[in-house]
Amino acid sequence: MIVSWQLLKQFIDLPASPEEAAVRLTMSGAEVDSIERPGAQISGVAVATVLSLERHPSKENLFVATLETGGKKAVCVTAATNLKAGDKVLYGAPGATLPEITPRGDVTSNKATLGLRDFGEVRSEGMMLSAAELGLPDVDIAEGILVLPEDAPVGTDALSLYGFGDVLLNVSVTPNRGDLLSILGVARELKGLYPDSVLKPMPWEEKTPGTEGWPVEFGAISLPDDGCLNYHLGLATNVKIFPSPVEVRVALAHLGMRPISNVVDATNYVMLLLGQPLHAFDLNTLPKREITVRSALEGEKIVTLDGKEHVLTAKDMLITSGKEGGPLTEPIALAGVMGGKQTGINDDTDVVVLEGASFSARRVGHTSRRLGIASEAAFRYSRGVDPTLSALGVDYALSLMSEWSGAGVGYKKLSASNAQPEPKPVILTKKKLHTYLLWSDMEESAKILEGYSIRQTENFESEYFGKHILAFVPPTWRPDIAIEEDLIEEIGRWRGYDASPVHLPGVLPRRGDLGPETSLAGTLRARALARGYVEAITYSFLPESFVSALHLPESDLRAHPLFLANPISQDWMAMRTTLLPGLLNGLKESVASGWRGPVRIFEIGRVFLRSAIQSTEHRELDVLAGLVYAGTDPRTPWPETRDDFFSVKADVLALLETRGRKASFVKGSEPFGHAGQTASIPGMGYLARLSPAIERELDFAGPVYVFELSLAALESAEKPVYTPGSPFPASFRDISMLVANDKTQDEVLAEIRASAGAGEGRKSSGEILESVKLFDIYSGKGIPEGYRSMAFSLCYRAFDRTLNDEEVDKIHNSVRDALSKKGYNMR
Amino acid sequence: MSDLDNQVREVKSSFDRAAGSTTTTDGLQELKVRYLGKKGALTVLLKSLKDLSPEERPLAGEVLNTLRDELERKIENKKQALTRAEDAAAEAMEKIDVTLPPRGRPAGAFHPVAQTMHEIVSIMQGLGYSVALGPEIEEDHYNFECLNMPSWHPARDMQDTFYLSNPEDAGSGSLLLRTHTSPVQIRSMLRYGAPLRIVCPGKVYRRDNDPTHSPMFNQLEGLLIEENVSFSILKGSLVELMNGFFGRELKNRFRASYFPFTEPSMELDIECVDCGGKNPGCRVCKGTGWLEVCGLGMVHPFVVRSGGIDPEKYNGFAFGMGLDRMAMLKYGINDLRYLFNGNVSYFLSGRNVS
Repeated sequence: MIVSWQLLKQFIDLPASPEEAAVRLTMSGAEVDSIERPGAQISGVAVATVLSLERHPSKENLFVATLETGGKKAVCVTAATNLKAGDKVLYGAPGATLPEITPRGDVTSNKATLGLRDFGEVRSEGMMLSAAELGLPDVDIAEGILVLPEDAPVGTDALSLYGFGDVLLNVSVTPNRGDLLSILGVARELKGLYPDSVLKPMPWEEKTPGTEGWPVEFGAISLPDDGCLNYHLGLATNVKIFPSPVEVRVALAHLGMRPISNVVDATNYVMLLLGQPLHAFDLNTLPKREITVRSALEGEKIVTLDGKEHVLTAKDMLITSGKEGGPLTEPIALAGVMGGKQTGINDDTDVVVLEGASFSARRVGHTSRRLGIASEAAFRYSRGVDPTLSALGVDYALSLMSEWSGAGVGYKKLSASNAQPEPKPVILTKKKLHTYLLWSDMEESAKILEGYSIRQTENFESEYFGKHILAFVPPTWRPDIAIEEDLIEEIGRWRGYDASPVHLPGVLPRRGDLGPETSLAGTLRARALARGYVEAITYSFLPESFVSALHLPESDLRAHPLFLANPISQDWMAMRTTLLPGLLNGLKESVASGWRGPVRIFEIGRVFLRSAIQSTEHRELDVLAGLVYAGTDPRTPWPETRDDFFSVKADVLALLETRGRKASFVKGSEPFGHAGQTASIPGMGYLARLSPAIERELDFAGPVYVFELSLAALESAEKPVYTPGSPFPASFRDISMLVANDKTQDEVLAEIRASAGAGEGRKSSGEILESVKLFDIYSGKGIPEGYRSMAFSLCYRAFDRTLNDEEVDKIHNSVRDALSKKGYNMR
Repeated sequence: MSDLDNQVREVKSSFDRAAGSTTTTDGLQELKVRYLGKKGALTVLLKSLKDLSPEERPLAGEVLNTLRDELERKIENKKQALTRAEDAAAEAMEKIDVTLPPRGRPAGAFHPVAQTMHEIVSIMQGLGYSVALGPEIEEDHYNFECLNMPSWHPARDMQDTFYLSNPEDAGSGSLLLRTHTSPVQIRSMLRYGAPLRIVCPGKVYRRDNDPTHSPMFNQLEGLLIEENVSFSILKGSLVELMNGFFGRELKNRFRASYFPFTEPSMELDIECVDCGGKNPGCRVCKGTGWLEVCGLGMVHPFVVRSGGIDPEKYNGFAFGMGLDRMAMLKYGINDLRYLFNGNVSYFLSGRNVS
């Protein structure tokens, strides 16, 4: 909402500058985003009379004007064709400044200075100006120079006339304060904030009620829908459509509305000043001379002023007019939202019927939101318009039409109304006031509220009524005041919240707890960061194509994401079922940005999975995902630092280890995984190299390793168990054996342990084989096809004695024999 | 006697000569063997003691022992000197260029928004707030209706919503992407009742996409419901949060504002963390000196009731802030678009290493 300081001063005498008022408004809830002075770049521009106008002696299409500029004469050359001798114009003498305008027509904050300019043999001293040259193109009526009213005072500075020098406050109005969407409302607010200020008489208070009997016949107004609180129609006859006065056009342009014509401008001007939306119908286009405000039928249609057709529901409300002979009245406007195309005024309109009505905020809000129509009227109605303003608004607009166009007015309005809501008293207790603000001066509070026209009432029954409990009635323009907390807010914001002391919350009801998910995320991310991973947060929605990019088959739950019903882009429409696409995109972005080194990324985030492929039910799961890529240029001066499957496996184990969890990796498969390099981590997730096909499709040169772990699976942690080692020395023996390629290391280890009589896991005291470690693996020359040589170091140690060599050799040989018997070729 | 003296003198001087020309520890070991070994010169002399008369023996023994001590001392000294020299030579040989790049993985880099979230929840934990989480796909009921935002409410305009189903059909059961973390407050009140102190971090979604708005962003809200709660402890909680997070005392101001779910409602401005209000051309605060960082207010009785708690017995406050904005302010990030694309070069650029 833009507030004109000049118009504001028509409503209130204020002991404050625009800057001071802006701070006070901002701190009390109506944030002033900016203060603008649209005339700031204008100087040296004043009113002049065109004394004579002649064709330029040599240049076609140019005219030479001689101006009276207030005691002096000046010669100006112009191309404009809309002038005649005797016109009053705005004239910028040499040295005058104007806003600089870009070739596209945008007004900048720079200044342009006028000078002398030769047009052939004639020297032009400065310029006669259009409104566009003053930065207000919408104020111009025709191509050419802005012609001022005949009574414009010659020699007077432009900034003191017609609002060119106005100051504009850009106010953010919160949705609860519909009353502030008007100059009047802001004046009332300032009256509350500045007790010494004085509200001036309102413009309509001088108007007479009007005479009975319209010169044209008009039937009844019926309001079968109680969403219309009251409805008034005024009449203006002999209307001639032409532009509004220059000061009105300037004011409208400053306040962000395009001046159109005297009739339309009058309705807009009243809306901006009073906050009451009005609608002008051309009497002759109404289907019948009667009005019914009713709810729409399901599926009923209307074409609004902007030419769009809307399909309605029973919650929408229509202004209708009876069709001759028809059973149903015909829609002529979407109540409080927008007028219909058929009945709007046009250049030939000569009888205007002016509607001023009060519609339910809820109903208008519903329709405007549902249909996505954010008209000025709907914006105001849905935030609440004072129901007592509708009649006054009609009167004021009619008087303006009469003043601006000589229209015939003065006829008594036709009115109808439904039951008006009774203002309900709201109580204020000293106790609650004190609880909230730690301040409770009831007398002072009543004064503050009175400033906002929230008046104390005795009309309220309570046995405690008196000093500690007061009742108040809000004014008709403050429907937002409904409960005690609303009154406390009025008092609080008037005093300023900085006035309240700062205290810490007292006695703790219980200790603060990070909760399992957040502590787990904290632990895991610390470990991932320490292992060199970069933390990412990526979008929860993806393009649908992620499914095919990951080769997810129909049978995979992840291939059936939930979709947004109203996405803003095809790139953001499917809820992610895996974190992989986000990380792959991160890799792509990294490489594209010129990063050539290794890429290690992780993300902790949510995926959204249907409960079953066809299901509409879904669940949300927290996942930790990681991605590792050796880099487009992984070269370093050091050997063996390049990431591979097993370095990433170490990372995964290190992450699991933060929870004291061990995991087995078994051969697995993922639709996007390398068929030979994918491990499943049962109950927890997977680790895989991307399939070469996907690596190729995504244009990554070299292997990409990915893993995803379910955080729910990691929520339970295992406490570490500490055990002292044996005090006796260990003996080490190596074995080397041929192992078929399809046999896993884990299987071989199990067989070695079994051969030594040792079980899985922790060593019992009777077991001599303490550990087995793979230390070499070799295939190639000297090793038969389909086999690899694996070398293990076995550690023998007892808890109760030092093992001697004979004893160790005996066990070790029995292990070798057992393995040989199992078919291993011992080397 | 003089014979022995001569021999002693001879051994001594030949030892000193040999020692003088010894330059390695290996040579020194050889020297030691030559004089003090089983067949060494001094050992031979010591052995010859037995040929002396018992009267001469003690004196001669003493002379030879003194000589042995002297040689041993000299060898030891020489050994230390030579070891030092040899170590020095070896260290010189093994010199490396310590400016070469490190081997192995450098540390990773945190995401500023995740870091911000973890820092703020631990500050709030210290004030007795627990973390509460909830679903990102919500029902209209919890996201709006329980929060005093019925379907026609104009405040819904501020939160343009992504739906997973047509809101006209499903009404209050419509599924949507939560537009704020406030539904977690409702769910927590219903689950735990009062007294309650929680913070709710998480992703939220609004149908907005421009340089200052991302359709997905991160929020943190707080809720305290106890008895006789004043606005002052809301101020205290937030002042601690801001000062704790930014690591210094910041000027603040509490402005009146409006939210449907709080009454009264305010907004918190802190002094510009970039210019401290001293730069009229500051791009962070646009010259106002203030940064709007947090919406807050006393929980509306309607909302307390939605949470199944009696607003006549308990009251409280709530606040909410954008974690992305907090992170951007703390780390001087000026474009939201860098935050969600996973580009490692951007995040690593924030680390203090080359």
